[in-house]
This record gives sequence, C-alpha cells and structure tokens, in this order.
Amino acid sequence: MKIDNSLPLEYSTEENRLKILGFWIFLGAEIALFATLFATYFTLVDRTANGPVGGDIFEVTPVLIETILLLTSSFTIGLGINAMRHGSKNAMMIFFIITLALGAGFLGTEIYEFKHYVHIGAGLQVSAFTSILLTLLGTHGAHVTLGLFWGTFIVLQVKKRGLTPETTNKAFIYSLYWHFLDVVWIFIFSFVYLKGMM
Amino acid sequence: MNMKQLFPRGHVMGFIFSMVLTAVALGVVVYELSFKTGMIVLLVTAFMQAGVQLVMFMHAGESEDKKAIYTNVYYALFIALVTIFGTLLTMIWGYQ
Repeated sequence: MKIDNSLPLEYSTEENRLKILGFWIFLGAEIALFATLFATYFTLVDRTANGPVGGDIFEVTPVLIETILLLTSSFTIGLGINAMRHGSKNAMMIFFIITLALGAGFLGTEIYEFKHYVHIGAGLQVSAFTSILLTLLGTHGAHVTLGLFWGTFIVLQVKKRGLTPETTNKAFIYSLYWHFLDVVWIFIFSFVYLKGMM
Repeated sequence: MNMKQLFPRGHVMGFIFSMVLTAVALGVVVYELSFKTGMIVLLVTAFMQAGVQLVMFMHAGESEDKKAIYTNVYYALFIALVTIFGTLLTMIWGYQ
C-alpha cells in the first residue's frame, strides 16, 4: 500500500481516492432517485381527493426545527472532518457524536410530524398527494435513519482503531452522505413545505 | 487544537450563510409575495444552499478527481432537471 503523506489520510492511497470518487457517483444516482420523487410530488400535489392540501397540514415550527437541526448537523460533521484532518481523534469523535445527536433530534421531530399527519387525517392512503408527500419525506427519513446507524459504527470503529487511512476514508465518505441528505432536505424544505404554505 | 483550528473560518461562514439563506427562504411565507416571486426566491436560495454544501463542506474540488466529480454532479443535475421538468411538461403543462 503506497501512502502519500502530502494528502489528507482519507485520500492517501489510490484505493481511498477511488472509493471517494465512487461514492460521488453513487450520490449522482441518489440525485436521480430524489428527482423522480420530486417529479411525482409536483405531478400529484394538487390531486388531494377529499383530503387536505399542503397548506392545511404543514406547520412552520416543526419544519423549522428539523431544518435547523439538520443544517447544524451538517456544520458539525464538517467540523468533525476538519478535526480529523488535524489528527485530533477526540475532537473528531465529539463532533461526530454531536452530529448523530442532532440527526436523532431531526428524526424524532419527523416521527412526531408523521404521527401528527396520520392523526389529523393525512395518512398515506388518503389521497395521491398525501401518498407522495409521505413517500418523499419517508425516503429522506429512511436515509437519515440509515445514516444514524452508519455514523454510530464509524464512531465505534474510530474509537477502536484510531485514525488510519481506512477509518478516515470511511468517515469522510460518511460525511459526504450526511451533507447530501442536508441538500435533499433543503429542497424538501423549499419546494414542499414553503411552497405549500405560500 | 485551539478554537481557531476547531472552528475554521470557512466552515463558520458557510454555516452562517446557510442560516441566512434559510431565513430569506422563510420570508416567502412571512411576507405576502406573489407565487412567481416566491418561487424565484426559493429557487435562488435552495440552489445557493446546495452550492454552499457542495463546495464548502463536501470539498468537491480538492482532489485530482475534481473534473470527474464535477462532471458527475452536473450530469446528475441534468438528469434531475430533465426528469422533473419533463414530467411537468407531459403530465401537467401539456404541449401542442
């Protein structure tokens, strides 16, 4: 294994560099996945049958809480990667744990929100609109859920093995995933919630 | 590590910028804007937010794969826009 010390650890071998490139290509496919969901949402947004429209069920407060939690978590994981590049394992782990806590807060708020929707008669099977709304939000939420498990394992592995070319590479790729989820959320926040409440 | 190393300027600025953009986007529901103006505001703020994440936090341009990564992102964006606007064209707007 050839290690190039002029680069951050996570790029230090050719395999590492290619894994990062490969993950970017995967994120390209994820963009396509969410594009199909958004396309379906925009198609079905007015097909509300006898159910509510977006403006009836969306509430600013929980949505704003979710947005701030996720944006902040994207910031803290960025700081985690920065600390990792300075070789500080402890600072990196603290930032990653804060990120996971914020992510869990986001997920908790979203679960509350889903429960609330079902409670007020906007469940999955009410109309084409509620179906695609909950499918779009749920697909994002499922990604966040997966990310919470993934991040937990990253933290455990870094704790056990320290900062090596392998663990830093995994942590960096995970940070790409987490930032990507934040980007998707920005579009949900703007074109589902804010557009619906406008 | 000192505070300056723990909280580098670029990251902090990126975070503040993303919060400001969120507040601006929120303006469309607070102020009575026309649908068209509101959508323009949302499009601008959303894509700027995505840009902040991509360049500031995801380090898209730092390795020798910069060109491949950006080509991939632009291609994915192209596919996304064609999917969304193509769907709107055939399912909602219609054409003659």
